[in-house]
Amino acid sequence: MRALTALLALAGVLAPVTAMGQSLVLWHAYRDDERAALEQVVDAYRRAHPGATVEMLAVPFDAYASKLESAIPHGHGPDVFIDAHERVASFQSRRLIAPIATGDLGPFTAQYDGASLRAFTLDGALYALPMSIKCAALYVNPALTHGVVPATLEAIEALRGELPSDAYPLVYEAQNAYFHAPFAHAYGSGLLDDRGRYAFVGDGAERSVMHVRRLLRARVIPEEASGSLVSQLFLSGHAATAISGPWLAAELGDRVRYVVAPLPVITAAGGRPMEPYATVEGAMLSAYAHDTAAARELASFLTSTESARTRARVGHQVVSTEAAWSDPALASDPLLSTFRAAARTARPMPTHPRMRATWEPARQSLVKSLRGDRPVRDALAEGARRFADVTRPLPPRRDGTLALLALGVVALGLAFAGVREAREPDFRRDLKRSMPAYAWVTHAAIILALLVVAPLVIGAATSLYATQEGRAYYVGLANYVDILTARGGPLFATGSFYRVLAVTVLWTAVNLALHVGIGLALALVLSRPLLKMRALYRVLLILPWAVPSYVTALAWRGMFHRQFGAVNALITWAGGEAVSWFARFSTAFAANVATNAWLGFPFMMVVSIGALAGIPKDLYEAASVDGATAWQQFTKITVPMLRPSLGPSIAMGAVWTFNQFNVVFLVSGGEPDGETDILVSEAYRWAFTRQAQYGYAAAYAVLIFAILALATRRRNPEAA
Amino acid sequence: MASLALRGIRKTLGKNPILRGVDLAIDDGELAVLVGPSGCGKSTLLRTVAGLELPDEGTLHMGDRDVTFAAPRDRDIAMVFQSYALYPHLTVRDNIAFGLRLRNTPEAEIRRRVDEVAGILSIEKLLDRYPRDMSGGQRQRVAMGRAVARRPSVFLFDEPLSNLDAALRAQVRVEIKRLHQSLGATMLYVTHDQVEAMTLADRLVVLNGGKVEQQGAPLDVYHRPATRFVAGFLGSPAMNFLTATVRGERIEAVGLRVPRDARTKGLAEGASVVVGVRPHDVTPSREGATLDLRVEVVEAMGFEAYAHGKVGDVTFIARLEGAQSLPKPGDTLPLAVPPEALHLFDADTGAALRGGA
Amino acid sequence: MNPRSRWYLEALSHAVLLLAVAFALYPVLWVVSLALSPSGTPSPHALPLPDAVSLDNARAVVGSTDQAGHWLFARQLLNSVVVSVATAVTSVVIATPAAFALARFRFVGERAGMRVLLATQMFPGVATAVPLYVILDTLRLLDTRAGLVLVYSTTALPFAVFQLRGAFEAIPRDLEEAAMVDGATRWQAFVKVVLPAARPAIAVTCLFAFMSAWNEFILAATFLSHEEAFTLPVALQRFVGEYNAAWGKFAAGAVIVSVPVMAIFYAVQRHLVGGLTAGSVKG
Repeated sequence: MRALTALLALAGVLAPVTAMGQSLVLWHAYRDDERAALEQVVDAYRRAHPGATVEMLAVPFDAYASKLESAIPHGHGPDVFIDAHERVASFQSRRLIAPIATGDLGPFTAQYDGASLRAFTLDGALYALPMSIKCAALYVNPALTHGVVPATLEAIEALRGELPSDAYPLVYEAQNAYFHAPFAHAYGSGLLDDRGRYAFVGDGAERSVMHVRRLLRARVIPEEASGSLVSQLFLSGHAATAISGPWLAAELGDRVRYVVAPLPVITAAGGRPMEPYATVEGAMLSAYAHDTAAARELASFLTSTESARTRARVGHQVVSTEAAWSDPALASDPLLSTFRAAARTARPMPTHPRMRATWEPARQSLVKSLRGDRPVRDALAEGARRFADVTRPLPPRRDGTLALLALGVVALGLAFAGVREAREPDFRRDLKRSMPAYAWVTHAAIILALLVVAPLVIGAATSLYATQEGRAYYVGLANYVDILTARGGPLFATGSFYRVLAVTVLWTAVNLALHVGIGLALALVLSRPLLKMRALYRVLLILPWAVPSYVTALAWRGMFHRQFGAVNALITWAGGEAVSWFARFSTAFAANVATNAWLGFPFMMVVSIGALAGIPKDLYEAASVDGATAWQQFTKITVPMLRPSLGPSIAMGAVWTFNQFNVVFLVSGGEPDGETDILVSEAYRWAFTRQAQYGYAAAYAVLIFAILALATRRRNPEAA
Repeated sequence: MASLALRGIRKTLGKNPILRGVDLAIDDGELAVLVGPSGCGKSTLLRTVAGLELPDEGTLHMGDRDVTFAAPRDRDIAMVFQSYALYPHLTVRDNIAFGLRLRNTPEAEIRRRVDEVAGILSIEKLLDRYPRDMSGGQRQRVAMGRAVARRPSVFLFDEPLSNLDAALRAQVRVEIKRLHQSLGATMLYVTHDQVEAMTLADRLVVLNGGKVEQQGAPLDVYHRPATRFVAGFLGSPAMNFLTATVRGERIEAVGLRVPRDARTKGLAEGASVVVGVRPHDVTPSREGATLDLRVEVVEAMGFEAYAHGKVGDVTFIARLEGAQSLPKPGDTLPLAVPPEALHLFDADTGAALRGGA
Repeated sequence: MNPRSRWYLEALSHAVLLLAVAFALYPVLWVVSLALSPSGTPSPHALPLPDAVSLDNARAVVGSTDQAGHWLFARQLLNSVVVSVATAVTSVVIATPAAFALARFRFVGERAGMRVLLATQMFPGVATAVPLYVILDTLRLLDTRAGLVLVYSTTALPFAVFQLRGAFEAIPRDLEEAAMVDGATRWQAFVKVVLPAARPAIAVTCLFAFMSAWNEFILAATFLSHEEAFTLPVALQRFVGEYNAAWGKFAAGAVIVSVPVMAIFYAVQRHLVGGLTAGSVKG
């Protein structure tokens, strides 16, 4: 009875968190002021539509796209969501969104600004109601520029001579392709051409990168600036100018006096303007919306004149609803009008589905060439190769009959063998004897089969498929062939299976050596008889084990941060030069290893303490009577005696390390350019950040499994 | 109380036959000791009686009940394990009460019985301790107490003394004997120690290779071993064996010539016989049938001494009186053997030669 | 050994241990100092001491609310606690009898079972996330605590079985046999004798299952889409997203998330040596 009550109580706590009613769900990735503005607008909608419920969900920007792509087809996505126009083509091709209107778009042209509307028009249909337009602009701190707004990049460069050494003439995220695009545009290059071909190569691109490299060398811009460093430097008066989007304004508030201007021109590029990419954000309708009419009504409300004014006022958005600008307060707002002017000269972000695939290769090219460890031309060429890699043409559809036939034959063979075995009298007797045991394992076996083995098998089977436009089709072994032939490129190129495998093996070996080395050494010291404060040491030394591993990983990433990381602080304190940890393979790998060593040594230490305690003391006494030195005792007694008890733990540790995703993904994130990625994180990237190529990722997973199964074959538990 | 009857018990583990047809009848109130070398199947036999193993063939009756396939809890038995198997998470009191609680004995009755048992075994002071806080001897007592409190029809002991030191072992041995006398219960006791076997048993059962080699009253078995194995197994130091040949009216071994008697009447000329001589049955003398022992080692213990050495090329041990002057290594010691003290065995089957009798 | 060399060794031991302790503590202190620093932006100091102590970060993390004014942090803390405890209980309850059978019985399929268990440890979870998503979707358990518990406890199951099997093998058979002779059924012997004797190992196994659920964020981020359904790791990870690095808040959150695990860890840690070795020796 008590058990039943407990069970009911448990069921109560586990019940769904949200009762899914027929309410509208709205997703967005806004923060701070923009979010507040949107909340006000939605509140207004609720007041205007009593009885209607709107559920808002703020999804972190990093995860936004993948979340939408996985949730919408399963009917768990939003009814309405706010996203940028460059994704429309990709969403449309996957049939994730429904058109707002088809045919005559006349009524809309009067309401919204033309550029915004065009951004959402595809094959004559309108796929979103435009909400706001965003692009980068120049923030100027007049206190550091004698009140002047520089009109050319060269004018900004000239500020170097006047500013103190800890201040920069310009701050922006130079490694970010989005912010480099204006430079590339000024030099006549870009990221993607009209036909969806990678464009960040060639003369113009090269010259734009060379220019930024000069800025870096002259200390016009800081090294490796992140978004938070940009705002931090500008906020603290250590930057005369900054290139950023309207979101920076929201962060600055009125904590610093600044003015905003369109981006300057580059004299060295023939006086051409730095045209930023413009992104239009709009409200899109999910193709799976529960109530399309209500969803359209909400989208329309979000872009009404009144709503647009609220968003402009509270969220500082450059709204696309033309009528909103008739409000004199908005029209005269210097910030909004500047961004509005900047947007007019900006280039709309290309809408080609491949646009998403340009960011990472372009960023890697920038990182490498700005760091100067690769000639610019080579770095750009590598980027182009990476792009080709990620946007690889999907393998052709294959006929699955042959595979089904083979599967059938195998299944038949297994069934036949099973029947033959079942007829053996020995087997029957064994089976009868096994019956009591089955009462103890059946439940676990069923649960494991359904929730662990089945997903595994399905996951493995996925490796024979490719996904296009949200639909999977059979491709045979094409994914494996692609992986094992390094997609036709050099077998040992960055990102190739063999290169990543080599890194993974190195990673596993180094980590295991450190774990066992440190763990065993500490265990030996801790096992010394008569050691004082043993318990205290032990408690302190297992601390890393108790800390959640993602906290550890993120904390270490912070500690290896170039500017404020503790490791560089220690190095400079000791008189060394600060190291850019994630810039080179060797240091990035070392950072990962240091993190994982910290994470993993306590386990080996504890296991070793236990194993050492199991070695009879008289063995040592006998050996020392026989005249063995301490070292001989270690190699001739300790090591052989530890082997059977440590062996399984080491094998287990090797498997864990081989698949240690958290550390690699969170500490170095594969930097530089995926060189420190191991097989698991590589598989993860294919599945979740490279256009959802699940089949390809699954093939990686199966290969990982095969490697581990082969490597540990002789260590199966029955052997012990 | 109940008698025990085992008929044709066979048991195979994997491919190894452990028990090969054991027949055994133990009377109500009898203390039977199963003895034999390690691997002879004595523990498996005990566990079969307990119901912890099920026989492949054969039947097991307690009283007139067939319990061959009954679960252990339905057999009305109690067992004392070699490791004592005290429940580590329970106090002594709860350990003793464990079986009673499982049988839903009223708490008052449980308390009474625990106190009674504690009194019998003088473990009153240990009742609130945990097993980890006790010495081996104390644990052993608690294990016995746990069995006694249950008042079962049959007690099973699986080498209960082998983890105790020699002095304690002797003491507990006496206590078990006393316990048996006061409870009058049927007991089955497994040991590899022949002293325990000889001193405790009402009925001694010698097991070898999964079969009963011989059973009977301990002294009977000692004096009239049915096989060469039993003869060699019982007695310390062990019996000496010499190979002899029938020559005319005599049996001749290295240096030993004894006339044939009733036991060897039927043997053909030149047949082989194994002659067994207990170390205690020889006296240093040149009278009568003699052996020449080339002494290699002498163990003097005060009241007696053992001379180890060789007769011919066979190792041989002789017991000497402690008081007499002892030989030195290298000496040759003549030993007289009374013919009636000789044990004779068939050289092939190992069976004792008993003549017409 | 003469006293002088002994003194020398003792000093060396302490030097090694102190160095290791410094290595172990430094990142923790760094996070704590970051959590306490008022600016929220890390300052490049070698010594992990905050410039000034302020609880602003902790207050910002703990005080977070959603747009309806509900106390988001409490909700997420509750989610984490419920999910982790339920995971620990479920996985150990399911694993215990199975592990016992694997330790005690010989049966057809035993070896195959052990192989499958081992294989599950080698297959990277990346490839199973999508099938699991579909399964949870079919069961209508996406975005629920029950769904997470289901996934976590089954993922924790193989390791729990390994652990417990080792522990049960280390428990003498005599104990349960004694119980059975004393009148217990096999099940009673298991519940009343074997389980209590295996308590340390069970505690350690529970701890590992609890920690695996308490620390997991990739699957949680995939399966949960509502802020009030989030577990703490998901909420925490968002503080240091690519476009938003609130290190102070992250650090404060990290401290808050780590303290309960550390507390439980230390409560169980004296069992770790025995609990783990039992498993590994026989593993």
